[in-house]
Amino acid sequence: MSLLKKINDLSDSGRSRRAWFGLVCMVFLVLIIIPSIFVVFKMFSDWSSVNDVIADGAMMDTIKGALANSFSIAFIVTIVDILVGIPMAWMLVRKQFRGKRYLDTLMDMPLAFPTAVLGISVVMFWGAPEGIDIPGLGLNISPYLMLVLLHFIFTYPYMVRSLSAILEQIEPNYETAAMTLSASRFTAVRTITLPLFRAGLVTGFILCFARSLSETGGTYIALKMMGVQSSFFTGPTFINDAKSLFGADAAMGPMILISVLMILLALALLIVARFMMVRLKIPVSRVWPQIGRKLSRGTVPKVKDVLSIAFLVLIVLIPSFYIFAFLTQPMADVDYGALLHSIGVSFLVAGAAVVFDIVFGIPMALYIARNRRTFLGKVLDEAVNVPLIIPTTALGFSLALFWGMFYGGGSAAVFTAMVILGHISFTYPLVVRNIIGAVEEVDASYEEVAMTLGAKPFQAFSKVLVPIIKSSIIAGAILSFTRSLGETGATTSISGSVKTVPVYIMDLVNRNSYAEAAMCSIILIVICFVLIFAVRMMMNRGERSA
Amino acid sequence: MPEITLDGLVKAYGGTRAADGLSLTVRNGEYLCILGPTGSGKTTCLRMICGLAVPDEGKVLFDGRDVTREPVSRRKAAMLSQVYSLFPSKTVYENVMFSPQTQEWPEDDAKQIVKSMIKMVHMEGKAHSYPRELSGGQQQRTALARALASDSDVLLLDEPLRALDARLRLELRKELRSMVKEMGLTSIHVTHDQDEALEMADRIAVIRKGRIVQVGTPMDVFKNPLTPFVANFVGRSNIFVGKMGRSFESHSEVMISSKECQFTVRARRTDIQEGSDVVVAVKIGSTKLEKVQPDAVEEKEGYVSGRVERVLYEGATITVEIETPAGLVSAKLPNRKFEDHVADDVVSIWWLPEAASVFRVPPEGLEDELRLD
Repeated sequence: MSLLKKINDLSDSGRSRRAWFGLVCMVFLVLIIIPSIFVVFKMFSDWSSVNDVIADGAMMDTIKGALANSFSIAFIVTIVDILVGIPMAWMLVRKQFRGKRYLDTLMDMPLAFPTAVLGISVVMFWGAPEGIDIPGLGLNISPYLMLVLLHFIFTYPYMVRSLSAILEQIEPNYETAAMTLSASRFTAVRTITLPLFRAGLVTGFILCFARSLSETGGTYIALKMMGVQSSFFTGPTFINDAKSLFGADAAMGPMILISVLMILLALALLIVARFMMVRLKIPVSRVWPQIGRKLSRGTVPKVKDVLSIAFLVLIVLIPSFYIFAFLTQPMADVDYGALLHSIGVSFLVAGAAVVFDIVFGIPMALYIARNRRTFLGKVLDEAVNVPLIIPTTALGFSLALFWGMFYGGGSAAVFTAMVILGHISFTYPLVVRNIIGAVEEVDASYEEVAMTLGAKPFQAFSKVLVPIIKSSIIAGAILSFTRSLGETGATTSISGSVKTVPVYIMDLVNRNSYAEAAMCSIILIVICFVLIFAVRMMMNRGERSA
Repeated sequence: MPEITLDGLVKAYGGTRAADGLSLTVRNGEYLCILGPTGSGKTTCLRMICGLAVPDEGKVLFDGRDVTREPVSRRKAAMLSQVYSLFPSKTVYENVMFSPQTQEWPEDDAKQIVKSMIKMVHMEGKAHSYPRELSGGQQQRTALARALASDSDVLLLDEPLRALDARLRLELRKELRSMVKEMGLTSIHVTHDQDEALEMADRIAVIRKGRIVQVGTPMDVFKNPLTPFVANFVGRSNIFVGKMGRSFESHSEVMISSKECQFTVRARRTDIQEGSDVVVAVKIGSTKLEKVQPDAVEEKEGYVSGRVERVLYEGATITVEIETPAGLVSAKLPNRKFEDHVADDVVSIWWLPEAASVFRVPPEGLEDELRLD
């Protein structure tokens, strides 16, 4: 009896289906949720070390400063993203113009860049860092502002994507109806479409905020290149650097405290955002027809479009691609052995995480999508977001503490396995969320009818549902893969010895080998694009032959 | 082909009971229509038969064998859903091939059956088209072929004609029934459309609030309703409330009283005791009108007279709505009578005693009984 047939037959029994789902939930709880928030429990069992930190005024000031930086940067970045993201999402969804397809592709590009690379690129463009010969704008801006500029780049695409996803679901009929009832376009959009938009706004808010809060590699590199890495901190860079600044033992207390604070604040934020989604009221009771009409005609809409494209080009695209300026320089010496090794490690980690995400994420997504109304469905739906909002550096630190209880010393293989687990934690929600969205669009009757035609539940899933949601599974996998490939904070906080590409690039920057770091970045970006392109090609061909 | 017995099925979703002691027997090879208003538990009933829903209480029996807990895939009860659910990534041929393939039939048999089914539903020309390239009627026929090719013993049709244009829906009634009958399957067809049920069914089961109210041939259900609800749902009826009067060999009398007047109507014979509170129901098609001349002096022929409110022209028929002391009464007449009635005419209303059914007033009250939800 073949394995597939065995799975098919097993799936026919309600008991084995429940057992499998139980396993999926266990895996989610034990491998993902508990290690992610373990540090909170650790704090209470190890209170004395935390207590010492609280007594240490200077240290507390540093921690408070780091947290204030992290949260205020995330907040500013997210608000600006919303303001410039709405018109951009609008253009991408509602307007038809030449070159729209290219704009659409360009939008996603920064997502494929490891943030460590973006860190180098952004500082090169705006500032005039020492040790780099390529001329930038040479502006003498503060580290804080530099980080804001950097964080725009990797949050902006998330915002535009979540807003346009919702916008696509809102039929233009409502606006048209409002306009036939003599509202100006501005008033129609503000009073009719925007309130329907809430869900997208909140999702975009959470994604951007979490992304900015989490970011370590690029932020650290930017600070390092400006020479302020040991005086200016964000939460993640503090965790990243604490061991080398204060020594392993002395760093423990501050690291625990700041991790717990970041996790709790982030979770509190998630809850507030959820609450806002229900309660947030966009004021619509008053209209100003004159102003609305003025804003809807003539130059105002055009200025708005031009400004949003200018923001994309000037703040997002040019600084991202500025690193390619290194191609004009003489070829730097690259240690190809070390680079290839780190690429191997990165691909191993990302690949293993994605495979795990798909095997254990699809059943979770199916359950949540089909059981939205049940208590367990609601709980799981919220729980899946938890690793997404927790800053990855804190998550990695927490995870290392958790598994450290079982494997004290640890060989290289164990550390690699732990890094993989860490990457699973923050990529799992991406896969699950993507697939939930896809499954919800598919009427349950397809699978049901298949079963009444004699298909076993697993056959109904594999032969009917999977072909329909295939592209979402692949999209989720690509998203997770690139996210894992670009991650720095979680990796370094779990183990300093697992050298993924971003960690390797960060090491090079630490050694002031900027040219080599830049070349490695360029090679990595090219590999990423080739990979994504290949997967897209394969998908297209698959669709054509199907 | 199995005989299906549903025995005391109960199924609750949250607070609402979609099945509430539902019992029904479907005969071998029969084409049965389950007819009921939206939300009466029709679809839940089908889902319990094929196993997509498991009842909280009660049993589902196929030929006396308890299949209540048997997995969907083994019941051989194919569902034809109201949205057809043709697999979008497969062609017509591949869709029909789905069942033979998953059940791993020998390839030659499978091909032959699939081809003959596609031929039967006249889809040979479109065998390699994708569902999105088909019209509604073609999709419906493909879904039927797919269900018939699955070697199922039972065919469950969940409002199979609902998504079609009105005209096509009428045409496909006969075609669908004859194709299903040809295969000799035990078929259960769920619908809220009384005309569809009357035209297609061997027998009709009227369902309401998760219970079967009446089972019978179309004519039986139409002519001899068991409750005021059935009388009104299967072909509209005029309903009167009154007190039982005397009974005779050929008919009985019921006294209808309203604020303004009192009158007596005739209905079919019944055993209900004189003096009981009763409901009289007459199909609007059996309600007859007699024009009363304004200057007429002689006694009126009918039971009660009223003023014509309006006359609706419906093509082959007209409906005359009359304001009477006992409320609004409708009468459906052939269209040649259109000239005879205009608004504000005074008409006298009567019917043949056999056309009027008499029921006891239901315990929950008449208004609740007649509600369509």
